[in-house]
Amino acid sequence: MIYVENLKKEFKKAIKEPGLKGSLKSFIKPKNEIITAVDDISFHVSKGEILGFIGPNGAGKSTVIKMLTGILTPTSGRCEINGKIPYKNRKSYVKEIGVVFGQRTQLWWDLALRETYTVLKEIYEVDDESYKKRMAFLNEVLELDSFITSPVRTLSLGQRMRADIAASLLHSPKVLFLDEPTIGLDVVVKDNIRKAVKAINAEENTTVILTTHDLQDVENLCDRIVMIDKGNKVFDGEISMLKTKYGQSREMKFVPEDLDAFNNLDYLGEFNLKDSDIEVENDGHTVSVRFNSDAVSVEKILNYTLSKTHVKDINVKDADIEEIIKGIYRSEVKLDA
Amino acid sequence: MKVLHRIRRVFKLHRIFIKQDLKKLMEYKIDFLTGALALFITQGINIFFLTIIFSYIPDLEGWTFDQILFIYGFALLPKAIDHLFTDNLWSIGYFTVSKGDFDKYLTRPVSTLFAVTVEKFQIDALGELVVGILLLATSLPKVNFNLSFINVLLFIISVLFATFIYTGIKLITASVAFWTKRSGNVIHMFYMVNDFAKYPTTIYNRTVRAIITYIVPFAFTAFFPASYFIVGGNPWYNIGGTVVMSALLMTVGIIIWNKGVTAYESAGS
Repeated sequence: MIYVENLKKEFKKAIKEPGLKGSLKSFIKPKNEIITAVDDISFHVSKGEILGFIGPNGAGKSTVIKMLTGILTPTSGRCEINGKIPYKNRKSYVKEIGVVFGQRTQLWWDLALRETYTVLKEIYEVDDESYKKRMAFLNEVLELDSFITSPVRTLSLGQRMRADIAASLLHSPKVLFLDEPTIGLDVVVKDNIRKAVKAINAEENTTVILTTHDLQDVENLCDRIVMIDKGNKVFDGEISMLKTKYGQSREMKFVPEDLDAFNNLDYLGEFNLKDSDIEVENDGHTVSVRFNSDAVSVEKILNYTLSKTHVKDINVKDADIEEIIKGIYRSEVKLDA
Repeated sequence: MKVLHRIRRVFKLHRIFIKQDLKKLMEYKIDFLTGALALFITQGINIFFLTIIFSYIPDLEGWTFDQILFIYGFALLPKAIDHLFTDNLWSIGYFTVSKGDFDKYLTRPVSTLFAVTVEKFQIDALGELVVGILLLATSLPKVNFNLSFINVLLFIISVLFATFIYTGIKLITASVAFWTKRSGNVIHMFYMVNDFAKYPTTIYNRTVRAIITYIVPFAFTAFFPASYFIVGGNPWYNIGGTVVMSALLMTVGIIIWNKGVTAYESAGS
């Protein structure tokens, strides 16, 4: 369905020195540097899959999406979707895909929403009957009725995002690209949008590629994630795999009766641990112990702590996907690619 | 069949957007009236000064006042028509490319050029169109225009192709933005040369004449075709030249535009 091989994108960027003198200098003798936004990315997606495409800001997510949707031409490497190369057969290719950029609308600012869909119907050559059916379906999952007669510029962000998603689905695309579709939305609208994406995926077996910073989106929707950082792929697999492979970090919280007794504890010496395996934080009320469960078990830490002190409350936190990803972004967790 | 279908689609899309722009016009009446009035007044003042000049001199390099008005009026027709339909090219040069908003045109299964131009119908240009028609109508009885079938046909052809000279020049200069991010001022610089073309080119020195004939060939949007109708000349040069220049500029424009689209770098989001 989607094949991406050694995709690379470089941008030329002019080096500008500060100040008026610098501006003049770069005007007369421009100096360029090459910035590699996407270095070498390969992955594939099968039909009907929902793929989460994640990474920190500036990792190159949007650049990859823009190459996959035919907006940008790759510097090297190839991508093939539905047997087509996006930037080569652009017009026939984009007929089969839907694209939503959460950051900016693709709709016509002054057109009433209903008219927007009429324009899209013409552009994508959707026949009257399919159009009617399609609008009814989209209306049902995205609840467009209440604002369909309003001009796009008057819509709230949540309404606009729903309108944009509906617009991208009008022509029943085989692949749907969603670039941060839940950005800036409240929890209810986010939930609506997730449900809609799920419904569309289930109904028509639409392949979805989704970029997001909201890990709830990922956990709710995605079968698989591809994580990239600095233009390179750092993880590719199921979310559960991410947890078992990199989720060794555990956190235990104690509310002690006597803080001083805690200060006498020596986890490092007792279990022969390295500095990086454990971290103790004391805020004067609660004591948090974060440790690597590969180096020492939960049971051992618990037994040792309880044998030396008295506590009022204990809380054990499981490996949290957010924590793992935070760790990877901060490159604390080492990945074997 | 397929071609017919395509043409129908083009008209239908134009209709939707024109309807929408007319609706907007009802919403922002003052805005429209000021815009159209401004263009109307600009042309009015130009003509007023022409009247003053001609009240002191009987003719200009052998051109009578009415002949000049005819050429001037002719010049406004292709300018206004181009203005009506392709005004959105300006925004390509000023901000669409630099802000990365060009993305949206690339995700649609129609040609990017069509997607860009269809989106805006610049109603203000009707001010220019009205002035142009008025000037032609008033000067027509006083110039030696032979209203034969062939002349009317040639007139329509030359206005049509002259329009594409405007479009072509805007297209080439707007495309520069794909490499430089902004080219609004480049479009402006070349577009403004059309001011020279409203008058007989014989009144200018050789350099100006060469520029507006061969480099930025606005002379073919007005003086050459218009003078053919009132004083005669070689139709192959006067009107054929318009057709050739127009085809040349549009071809070059479309090639550069398409090259530009592949060089387009979008913007970070």
